[in-house]
Amino acid sequence: MNLQVAMLLGQSGITSGAVYALLALAILLVFSVTRILLIPQGEFVSFAALTMAAMQEGRPVRLGWLLGALCLAAVAMDLIASVRARRRPAVSRPTLWLCAWAAAATALSMLLPLAALGHAVQALVTIALIVPLGPLLYRVCFQPVAAAHALVLLVISIAAHVALVGIALFIFGPEGARTEPFSDAVFTVGPALIQSQTLWVVAVSALLVGLLYVGFERHLYGKALRATAVDRLGAELVGISPDLAGRVSLAVAAFIGALSGVLIAPIITIYFDSGFIISLKGFVGALIGGLASYPLAALGALVVGQAESFATFWASAYKEVIVFTLLIPVLLWRSLARTGVEDEE
Amino acid sequence: MSAHRLVLSLLASVLLATAVQAQAPLNVKVGVVTSASGPIALVGIPQKNTVALLPTKAGGQAIDYILYDDASDPTASVTAFKKLITEDKVDAIIGPPGSPNALGVIPFVAEAGVPMLAPVGTAAVILPMDDKKKWVFKTTQNDGLVAAALLDQMAETGVKTVGVIGTADPYGDNWLKVFSEGAAKKGIQVVASERFQRQDTALTAQGLKLIAAKPDAVLIAAPGSSSVLPQTTLYDLGYRGKYYQTHGAALPDYLKLGGKKVEGTILAAGGMLVIDELPGTDVSKPIAADYIARYKKLYGTVPATFGANVFDAGLLLERAIPEALKAGKPGTAEFRAALRTALEETRELPGTQGVYTMSPADHSGFDQRGLHIITVKDGKWALVK
Amino acid sequence: MRRLSLAAAAIAAVGVAPLLLTPFQVTLANNIGIAALVTLGLVLLTGIAGLTSFGQAAFVGIGAYAAAYLATVVELPPALAWLGGSPWGGLALGLALALAVAVVLGAVTFRLAGHYLPLGTIAWGLAIAFLFGTADSLGGYTGLSGIPVLSLFGVRFDSGGRLLWLIWAVLLAALLVTANLLDSRQGRAIRALKGGQLMARSMGIDVVRAKMAAFLIAAAFAAIAGWLYAYTQRFVSPAPFSLGAGIEYLFMALIGGAASIWGAVVGAAVFILSKEWLQDLLPHLAGRTGNFEAVVFGLLVIVLMQHMPDGIASAVRRAARRARRPRPPSPAAGDTAAPLPMRAKPRPGEVILDARGITRRFGGLLANDDVSLSVRAGEVLAVIGPNGAGKSTLFNQLSGVDRPTAGTIVFRGQLAAGSSPRAMARHGLARTFQHVRLLPELTVLENAAIGAHLRGRKGLVAAMLRLDRREEAQLLAEARRQLARVGLAARCDDRAGSLPLGQQRLLEIARAVAADPCLLLLDEPAAGLRFEEKQELAGLIDRLRCDGMAVLLVEHDMDFVMGLADRVFVMDFGREIAHGRPADVQADPAVLEAYLGADA
Repeated sequence: MNLQVAMLLGQSGITSGAVYALLALAILLVFSVTRILLIPQGEFVSFAALTMAAMQEGRPVRLGWLLGALCLAAVAMDLIASVRARRRPAVSRPTLWLCAWAAAATALSMLLPLAALGHAVQALVTIALIVPLGPLLYRVCFQPVAAAHALVLLVISIAAHVALVGIALFIFGPEGARTEPFSDAVFTVGPALIQSQTLWVVAVSALLVGLLYVGFERHLYGKALRATAVDRLGAELVGISPDLAGRVSLAVAAFIGALSGVLIAPIITIYFDSGFIISLKGFVGALIGGLASYPLAALGALVVGQAESFATFWASAYKEVIVFTLLIPVLLWRSLARTGVEDEE
Repeated sequence: MSAHRLVLSLLASVLLATAVQAQAPLNVKVGVVTSASGPIALVGIPQKNTVALLPTKAGGQAIDYILYDDASDPTASVTAFKKLITEDKVDAIIGPPGSPNALGVIPFVAEAGVPMLAPVGTAAVILPMDDKKKWVFKTTQNDGLVAAALLDQMAETGVKTVGVIGTADPYGDNWLKVFSEGAAKKGIQVVASERFQRQDTALTAQGLKLIAAKPDAVLIAAPGSSSVLPQTTLYDLGYRGKYYQTHGAALPDYLKLGGKKVEGTILAAGGMLVIDELPGTDVSKPIAADYIARYKKLYGTVPATFGANVFDAGLLLERAIPEALKAGKPGTAEFRAALRTALEETRELPGTQGVYTMSPADHSGFDQRGLHIITVKDGKWALVK
Repeated sequence: MRRLSLAAAAIAAVGVAPLLLTPFQVTLANNIGIAALVTLGLVLLTGIAGLTSFGQAAFVGIGAYAAAYLATVVELPPALAWLGGSPWGGLALGLALALAVAVVLGAVTFRLAGHYLPLGTIAWGLAIAFLFGTADSLGGYTGLSGIPVLSLFGVRFDSGGRLLWLIWAVLLAALLVTANLLDSRQGRAIRALKGGQLMARSMGIDVVRAKMAAFLIAAAFAAIAGWLYAYTQRFVSPAPFSLGAGIEYLFMALIGGAASIWGAVVGAAVFILSKEWLQDLLPHLAGRTGNFEAVVFGLLVIVLMQHMPDGIASAVRRAARRARRPRPPSPAAGDTAAPLPMRAKPRPGEVILDARGITRRFGGLLANDDVSLSVRAGEVLAVIGPNGAGKSTLFNQLSGVDRPTAGTIVFRGQLAAGSSPRAMARHGLARTFQHVRLLPELTVLENAAIGAHLRGRKGLVAAMLRLDRREEAQLLAEARRQLARVGLAARCDDRAGSLPLGQQRLLEIARAVAADPCLLLLDEPAAGLRFEEKQELAGLIDRLRCDGMAVLLVEHDMDFVMGLADRVFVMDFGREIAHGRPADVQADPAVLEAYLGADA
C-alpha cells in the first residue's frame, strides 16, 4: 500500500463514515429523547434516495400512498384514544398538522413536473415527503407504548423496519437506483482526486454534528428534550410533553435520514433494502461512542467508516465480519470499565 | 392449563384435518417457484412476471400454472416444492431462481420423480450428472459456457491478465469459480479477485486492489443493477483498461445507471439485447422478439434476461408434453417419467437465448450458438461483429 | 398427575401424526417443530429472563453447518477427523461452537445495560451469516449439499414421518426440561432477572451467571434445531441463518407469548401456518410484487406489542384464569422435608454490623458525612431523618449497593465496605425494598423461595433432569415456614401481584428471612400501610428481634419507630444529629429543630 492508495482509502472511509455519522447522530438523538433504538432510521435514507431517483426518471412518486396510510392510522388512533378517554371524538392538533404537511408534500410531488426541475427542487420535495414519515411513525408505532420497557420499543422498532422494507419493495421495486450528482466537479489535492459530492457529504455531517452538539448539550431546550427520556412524568410536570418531544426527535431523525439519502444517492446504488445495513453501521458507531455524546458518536461512526474501508482493502470477502466484530472489543472494554452491573431503566 | 389445552386442540385439529384430495387432474399442472422478495428478487421478479406469458396449451392439453414464492429462502423453496409435489400433484416444476435454493430441492424432486426446470446459472444443479440430477434441466446457458465465450474474446484481443470482482452471493461465487477455471485453461491469469456486497456504500477499496494488480481487463460478475457500481468506481479511480460484464448486467438499468462510464464494456449474452441487429437467419430472433414484445405490452418495461429463462422453460415443456401424453395421463408417475425422457430428448429447439439440444449427459443443451458478444456503444447495446 | 396425562397426550399425538397428516402437512409440522425449538430458547431468554436476541438464527446456522460439514466434507482437518461421519459428532461440534460463541457474546454484554445484548446479537448474527457465505470450506454462498440421511441407533430417518417423530420428540423433551428448570431454584434465579437486577443480587443471585444460563440454554436449543434442520433439508446455505431469520424467530416468540413455554409452540405454528396461508392469499389481494408477509407480520407484531405484549398464549391463559375457579391450596408438602441447615447464630448482643466514618460524596454533594453506627443481635435500630437527610445513601452503603468514599464497614467481623450486595447476602444480610420488588406473576410461595436461593446447591442440569427434588422440597418448605411466620400461610398459591400492598411488604420480609439472615435491613417498611397493617408489621419485627435477629430499619414514620426501636439514629444533611433511646432522642432539641424547623 502506498500513500496514494492510503489516501484514497481514507477518503472513501471518510465519505462512508460521514454518512454513518449522520445516522449515528439521528439514532442517538432519538434514543436520548425517547429511549427508542430506531432501527428504521436507514429506511429514511433509502426511501429518500429512491424517491429522488424516481423523480429524476420521471416515474410516479408513490411515497404518498404510505404517507396517506400512516395519516389515516394516526387519525384513527387519535379518535379511538379520545373516545377511550371519554372525551368528544377529536383529532389532536399535531396529527392534523402532520396530515396537512403530508398532503401538501404529496400534492407537490404529484403536480410538479419534477423531472424537469433542478436538483434543488427535487431534493426539497423529497425531504418534505420524508420528514413527516418520522413523526407519523412515532404516532402510530411508538406513542401508545412510549412508557413501556425499552425492550418493547426495540421490538416495535424492528417490526416497523421489517414492514417498511416490505413496503419499499412494493413501492420502489427490486432494482437499485442512483441519482445524478449535484456537480461533476473533481478536485485534485496532492495525489488524490476528490469528488465534490464527497465534500458535500462531509460538510453537511460536520455541520449537523456541530448543531446537534450545541443544541442538545449546550442549549436549554435540548436538555429539556433529553430530560423526557430520563423521567417522562417529571418532564410532563414541568411542562414538556413527552409525545411532542418524541415527534420532534423523530422528525429531526427523518430529516437527517432524508438529507443523507439525497446526499449519497449520486455516489452509490441504493436498493429498497439498503437502509438496514447502513443504519446498523450507524448503530455500531453510536455504540462505540457509548450512546451518550454526539461528538463521540460521530467519531465512532468515522472509525467504522475507516475500518470498513481498510478492511475491504485487505480482505474484501470478510469486510462485514470485521466491521461487526469490531463491536465485540468495544463492548468488552466498556464492560470491563464498569464495576457493577447496570440496572435497567 | 388452558394454554396446554389450546396446544392440544391445535394439535388435534391438525391431526384430524384430512387431506382434501385433489380432483383427478385433467390439465397438465406445472408449478412455478419464484423469489419475489429477498436478495434474489432482482432475478426472481422478471421470472415471476414471465409466468403470465407461458404457453397455456400443449398437444391439445391445457396447462395450469401454480405459482409460489420462496422469498429467496432455501427452506421456503423446499416447502413450496413439497407442497407442489404432494398437494398440488404437479407434473413439472419451473424454478427456483436462486442457485442454493435449486440445489436444496433436488433430493426432493428426485425422490418424487418430478422433472424440474431450473432457471439458474450454476452448472452444479446438473453436473456431475447422477441419479438425482437427471430430474433437473437447466434453462440458462451454463455460466461456464458464457465464461468461455468471454475468455475467447479476451484471448483474441490480447488480454493476458484479468482482475475479477464478484458479488458476495451465489451468483458471484459461481462466476468466480468457473471463470478462474476457464482462464487457467486459456492461459489467462486472474491477478486479483475481489468480492462486494450489493448494498455496499463504497467500493473504492476493491477498486484500488484491482488497479494495483494492473490487469489488462476487469470482469464484473454481479446480477442486475449491482453490476454498475464496481465499474463506475473503477472508472472514477482512473482505470481505463477493458471492462467485461456477465449476462447479469444485460438489462436496461445497467445502461441507465452506468451512463457514459460503461461505454465500450463487453459482455456475452443471449441475443435478446441486440435483437434488431441479429441476422434474419437467427432462429432465436423471432422467439425473443415475440417474448420481449409481449412482456413489454404487459409490464411496460423490457424484461431482464432472467425472465427469458422461465420463458424457455415453457417452450421446453410445450415441446415435451405432447410426447409425454402418449405414455400416460397428466398426474401420473408414468406421465412425469415420460415428460422427463421427452425433455431429455429435446433436439434443436430454438428458445429465446439459443438452441436446446439435450442429452442424458447434458441437461442444459446449449452450445455457443445462442451466445453473442455484445458491447455498449453510444449508450446502447451493439453486437460485436 | 396432570403433567403425566399431558405428556401422554402429547406423545400420543406425535405418535399418530405422521399416519394422519398429508406429506405436506408433515413437512409443515417438521418446520414448526424445528422453529418451536428455537423459539423455546427465545421464550426463556426474552419472556422469562427479560433479555433478547435477534441472532438466534446464527446459532441455528452453527448447528446446521457443523452437522453438514462433518457429514459431507471428506477431508476433515485432523483436529475434527475423529468426529467425522457420525451425526453425534456434528451435534457435539455444533453445540460446542454455539455455546462458545454465546459465552463470548454474553461475557461482553451482560454487565452492560439491557439494549447492548440485542444490538450485540444483531451485529454478531450478521457477522456469522456472512462468515458462512465467505468460507469456501462451507460451500460459500452456494451452500453444502449431499447431506446423507440421518441414521441413529440403526434407525434411518429417511421419511418426513420419521423425522416428525424425531423432531417432536426432541421438542417435547426440550419443553419438559425447560418446564422442570422454571420450577426450580435455578429457574427462579432466571425469572428473578425480570424483577430488577438489584432485587436478584440482593437475594444472592449471580445475575451475570443467571443471564448466561438462559442465553446458553437458548443457544443450545438453537444449535440442536440447526442439527435437525440440516438432516431434514439435507442441504445448508447461508440464507436461512441470516439476521432476517433471527428476527422471524423473535416474532414467533412474541406472537406466541414470550412468557409461556407453550407460547413457543403456538407462536411457531401460528407464524408458519399463517405465512403459508398469506403467501397463497395476499398476492391475489394486492396483485403486485412485494414482500407482503413481511409487512403483515411487522404490523402484527407492532399491534401485538401495543395491545398484548405477552402474546397470544398468555392472553388465552389470562382469560382462562379469570374464568376458572380458584385452585385448592397445594398440600403442605413441607412437613416431610428435612429442614435446611442454618447458619451459626451470633450470641445475643454481639455486634453484627459496625460502620465507622462512612462518607459518600457525589461530585460536590456530601450525601453521608462521617457517619458511624453499629447494630447488635436481637435489637432494632431505626435510622430516621427528614427528606434528603442521606438515609437512602447510607442504606446503599450498608447493603453493598454503593461504595463509600471513605470509612469502614465491618459485617460479622469482616471488612465489607463496597463489597457487592451478593457478598453481603452470602454473609447473612437480607433486605427489603422501599418500592416493593416482587415478581407479580409468580406465586407467593415462589417469591418467598427466591430468598432461600443461597441455601440451595443444585445446578442447572440437576434442575432440568429433576434431580433436585429433595432440595427443592426443603427450599419450598422453608419458604412456607417463613410465610407462616409472617402470617401469609393461606396465600401461598396466589399470585404475588394479587396481594394488597401491606401483604406484599410482609411477603418481602418472608423472602428476606428465608435467607436465614442475622441482619435484616428494612427500607421504609411502613410506607403506604394502613394503621392495622402497621401494627401487624410492628408485631412481626418484634418477634424477629426476640428470635435473635438484628434489624436495621430506615423509616419516615416517627410513631411507628418510637414504639418499636431499641435505639434511634437521627440524620440530617448527611450527618448524625442524635443517637440513643427513643425517648431521649424525641426530646433532643437538634431533632426537634430538624423535624419541626428552627422556630420550634
